[in-house]
Amino acid sequence: MARYLVKRLGQSLLTVFLTVSTVFVLVRLAPGDPAKAYAGPFATTEQLAQVRRQFGLDRPLLEQYWVFLKGLVHGDLGTSFTFQSSALRVVLDRLPYTITLAVAAIVVTTVVAVPLGVWMAKRADTRREFGANVATIAGQSMPEFWTGIMLLTIFAVLIPVLPASGFATWGGLVLPTVTIAVLQIALISRLVRREMATNFAAPYLTVARSRGVGERRLTWRYAMGNASVPVVTALGTRFAALLNGVVVVEVVFAWPGVGSLVVRALETRDYPLIVATVLVTSALAVLVQLLVDLCYPLLDPRVRLGKAAS
Amino acid sequence: MSDTVATTSPSVAARPSAVTARDLARAGATRRRRGSTIKLILGAVCTVLVVVPVLLAQVLPIPDPAGQDLSRRRLPPLAEGHLFGTDALGRDLLSLVLHGGQVSIAIGVLAVTVSGLIGVALGSAAGFFGGWVDAVVSRLLEAQMSLPLLMMLLLVVALFGPSLPVITLVIAFAQWPEVARLTRSMVLVEREKPYVAAARVLGLHRIEILLRHVIPNIVKQASLVVLLLLAQAVLLESALSYLGAGPERPFATWGRIISDGQDYITTSWWLVTLPGLVIVLLVVGVNLLGDGLRDRTRRRKAKKA
Repeated sequence: MARYLVKRLGQSLLTVFLTVSTVFVLVRLAPGDPAKAYAGPFATTEQLAQVRRQFGLDRPLLEQYWVFLKGLVHGDLGTSFTFQSSALRVVLDRLPYTITLAVAAIVVTTVVAVPLGVWMAKRADTRREFGANVATIAGQSMPEFWTGIMLLTIFAVLIPVLPASGFATWGGLVLPTVTIAVLQIALISRLVRREMATNFAAPYLTVARSRGVGERRLTWRYAMGNASVPVVTALGTRFAALLNGVVVVEVVFAWPGVGSLVVRALETRDYPLIVATVLVTSALAVLVQLLVDLCYPLLDPRVRLGKAAS
Repeated sequence: MSDTVATTSPSVAARPSAVTARDLARAGATRRRRGSTIKLILGAVCTVLVVVPVLLAQVLPIPDPAGQDLSRRRLPPLAEGHLFGTDALGRDLLSLVLHGGQVSIAIGVLAVTVSGLIGVALGSAAGFFGGWVDAVVSRLLEAQMSLPLLMMLLLVVALFGPSLPVITLVIAFAQWPEVARLTRSMVLVEREKPYVAAARVLGLHRIEILLRHVIPNIVKQASLVVLLLLAQAVLLESALSYLGAGPERPFATWGRIISDGQDYITTSWWLVTLPGLVIVLLVVGVNLLGDGLRDRTRRRKAKKA
């Protein structure tokens, strides 16, 4: 177990490191000059040179990378060009908002999608289930930004009951959460349906039923017990993906999270900020996936971490 | 299966049986068959409704998408011969949507083709050869999972410019793991079948076996996922374009049209609603087609087993 944990942590660190290094090189290889974005369109050549010297952009790529690595060890990712403060600090300030949104969305998704999926599996091939099935297809076919704007129009403009943007009150959390949840519910409930249908058709369930096990226990204890590993995996993956970027929804609702930050950082070519965002979000995502993996032995006693899993 | 129902119903009526034709029509298998047929028809109708006008955009009697007319700004739908109304610059919205759609759909099809080719090549190589090839491909697949995908895509487009090749490649890069994973698992099954051993005994080279015998056997199943990927590609392209990382030339695509219209959402609802509905119609159609087809093949496989 301990060895498994060490091995997985090592792998995770390596993944994050490689991701960040890729981004570091990528931003500097690409055309476009952050000094110009920083100094404005009317800057003179001397001013541009001055800006480049200030941020160390005039030095060779390898030297910049070395400085970056040294800073990384100390938890210093450089100064954001636009915010004029520690890039890591800027990202960490925004992070709670993204985490709030991601947690709210995944909780709503779980609460709705799991019962919905179980219901669809039980009522398979009835007319109502067919309707729900088509509805989930529609749910996964709507672009998030469009759903978001539509909800905004209905619930903030036509019937002004909820705030349209930002996060001033808890009411502001409702529309972004619903927007994200629509897509996630569609995806997760279909997975739950598939997994549960497989288990309902399995011989062990017939045996249990013939032994007189109650229908509720059959569903939630027997079938759900076996379906839980893939379902939790999917929920974990979706949650990690949400932490990585609810970019679109954050932009639609002017949510002060990491997603809208990254769009701005890209526009201004704020190298340290881009790298810091990628570092923080990918580290979080990897951590979530690790936690999900650690849950497996709790869900399924047959799983022994480090043996079959690796 | 509906054929079998149709042919057996009379004989059922002829011989003494408690099973009536009505029972058969109510049976789970019949319902599933009916469900997949409805999905296929519905999907085909939705897809055709979008794709045909988009392909005929140059032929249809609609105004020029670039034709600005500031005196006819933000006309509501159905006004003065503008079926979808006009945008903030007085351009015909329907025409914009159809011309932009050509770009969106072209990007989607190209991206899926590229990701399909990469995915099948890498996935089948990993499944068939195993060993270090499998190790490398599997690690790549895992790494992809933990990448902040949309952020990376935005980054690449922001850095290398929103040209058609860049956006196509970026979407293909996002999608190849799905194909690769599927192909790999299918090749793993196929590899153990007797015909592969037979081919090896006959002296065929391993690459030849893979290309001429294994891949033709899986390509039909693998191609089903293509429809679902196409739907995702269209969505991804629209999201990129909404965030300002979409193609500008020759025409702005759907996401961009919506993000332009967002500023007028309080007064001109159609600028966002109608282009969005077109996206939804297309993606729902393609998803329904894919889902219906998958339901059918799954059934056929179950019958064989």
